[in-house]
Amino acid sequence: MSLASPELPEVSIAEVDKAKVKLDVQSLDFFYGKSHALKDVSIPFEAKAVTALIGPSGCGKSTLLRALNRMYALYPGQRATGKIMLDNEDILRPGVNLSMLRAKVGMVFQKPTPFPMSIFDNVAFGVRLYETLGRTQMAERVEESLRRAALWDEVKDKLQTSGLGLSGGQQQRLCVARCIAVRPEILLLDEPTSALDPISSAKLEETVTQLKNDYTIVIVTHNLGQAARLSKYTGFMYLGELVEFGQTAEMFTKPVTTRASDYITGRFG
Amino acid sequence: MAVSARRIAVRRLSNVFFVVFCTLVTLVALAALALILYSLASQGLQGLNLNIFLKSTPAAGSPGGLINAIVGSIMMCALGMIIALTIGIMGGTWLSEYAGESRYGSVIRFLNDVLLSAPSILIGLFVYEFLVFPFKSFSGFAGSVALALLAAPVIVRTTEDVLKLQPISLRESGVALGAPVWHVIRTILWRGSTSGMLTGALLAFARISGETAPLLFTALNNQFFSWNMARPMASLPVVIFQDALTPYPDLNRLAWAGALLIAVSVLAVTIIARAFSQEPRRS
Repeated sequence: MSLASPELPEVSIAEVDKAKVKLDVQSLDFFYGKSHALKDVSIPFEAKAVTALIGPSGCGKSTLLRALNRMYALYPGQRATGKIMLDNEDILRPGVNLSMLRAKVGMVFQKPTPFPMSIFDNVAFGVRLYETLGRTQMAERVEESLRRAALWDEVKDKLQTSGLGLSGGQQQRLCVARCIAVRPEILLLDEPTSALDPISSAKLEETVTQLKNDYTIVIVTHNLGQAARLSKYTGFMYLGELVEFGQTAEMFTKPVTTRASDYITGRFG
Repeated sequence: MAVSARRIAVRRLSNVFFVVFCTLVTLVALAALALILYSLASQGLQGLNLNIFLKSTPAAGSPGGLINAIVGSIMMCALGMIIALTIGIMGGTWLSEYAGESRYGSVIRFLNDVLLSAPSILIGLFVYEFLVFPFKSFSGFAGSVALALLAAPVIVRTTEDVLKLQPISLRESGVALGAPVWHVIRTILWRGSTSGMLTGALLAFARISGETAPLLFTALNNQFFSWNMARPMASLPVVIFQDALTPYPDLNRLAWAGALLIAVSVLAVTIIARAFSQEPRRS
């Protein structure tokens, strides 16, 4: 912190219009066993907008993301305290129905994870958990989801072949299609392009661009260009804290805190 | 920095040495296998005739076949495999998906490994104490249970191992869609591990189909044809064991034919199972 100028604040969290917030994280602390991974993080996610989470490895971006659909509940040693308000309901409260929560909050992972079944069944997998659709309705839902994920034209003639036969980029868009087939309101994207080549990454970004008017999207990324291209808001995290949060355009042109400024200009991280 | 020519020469030489050594060792192992299969085929084919599949085991000097032993082996192996697959798949899945690093899980894992290498005759004695002595009769059921106890640890082990090979992110993406863990295991993990689990099942089947010792104390033998699993039952390995020890050439030939039958049926089951499980990954 030798570069810190005295007049810059340590932390800067921009205000947002509370009426537009879909998902509101309030004073979230997260623990992996005894290690304290998130420290008093408060961050709002605006409805039908993309918020990017950036920061060096191990800063807690993915941990925050995995709290938003309570993925961590799979692992007994992990716990969160604080509040995460989704449509004015605290999803950290005990007794929350995790299946229903995850129907609302979909997630796409770093590495493509197609299930060992046909492309059609991959997309239908989540739908079948919640709805009983007739043949044609299901076919329509699968087509609609694949179209929205910009994959339909590439797979429409081979829906019955294995999802494992697709290329990495196609597999990742299949995962997006599988996720939106359930009709969630929020999409969590955990470094969705880090395992993809540049062309596939560009296609996935296009897909996200097409989706961003309809979904509340939270994307974790190491690619600052991607954050700048896709998101309306950006949160910069460092060592488990949210250091700066604000409009992406502002943060990338004139970051308020030294730490965000250093990271964005490439001085560390 | 120049790489010395001498070092490269040494490296090349050690590489050649290693390749030659590996090839030789492989050839020795394969030669032993070929010899066994050759003597099995040449001796077994001599004893093979239609009567094998029509008549029960004879007394020395009279003509006969192996049908009672064939049927007994099929029934006991089938029931044994059903029991072992149920225990093995459930146990292996529990160890891989639910036990984690818990103490209880490690104890079960350790005991399973012990059971994996337990002498089969001990398993036979154990089942004798449990299922033969109290009921005062040797039986096909007892034989099946003994075989199941031999097969289950193999299946537990391979099931656990192949499930653990599946990436954690695959489980998490199922859960992230809102599926309960049990549903993810059943519809995603098992499906993705079919081929590995099948390998385990086939290994177990191959192991029990030739087992003699555990059957001696449990199913014993039966000179006559029988469907009744509550009574003593003939089996190929036991018939081979008994007939091979007799001084009568016709019984010896029958033993060879039985051995050939076991080898061929293990091979056939393996090929059929593989053919059915081969799902084309790409098309």
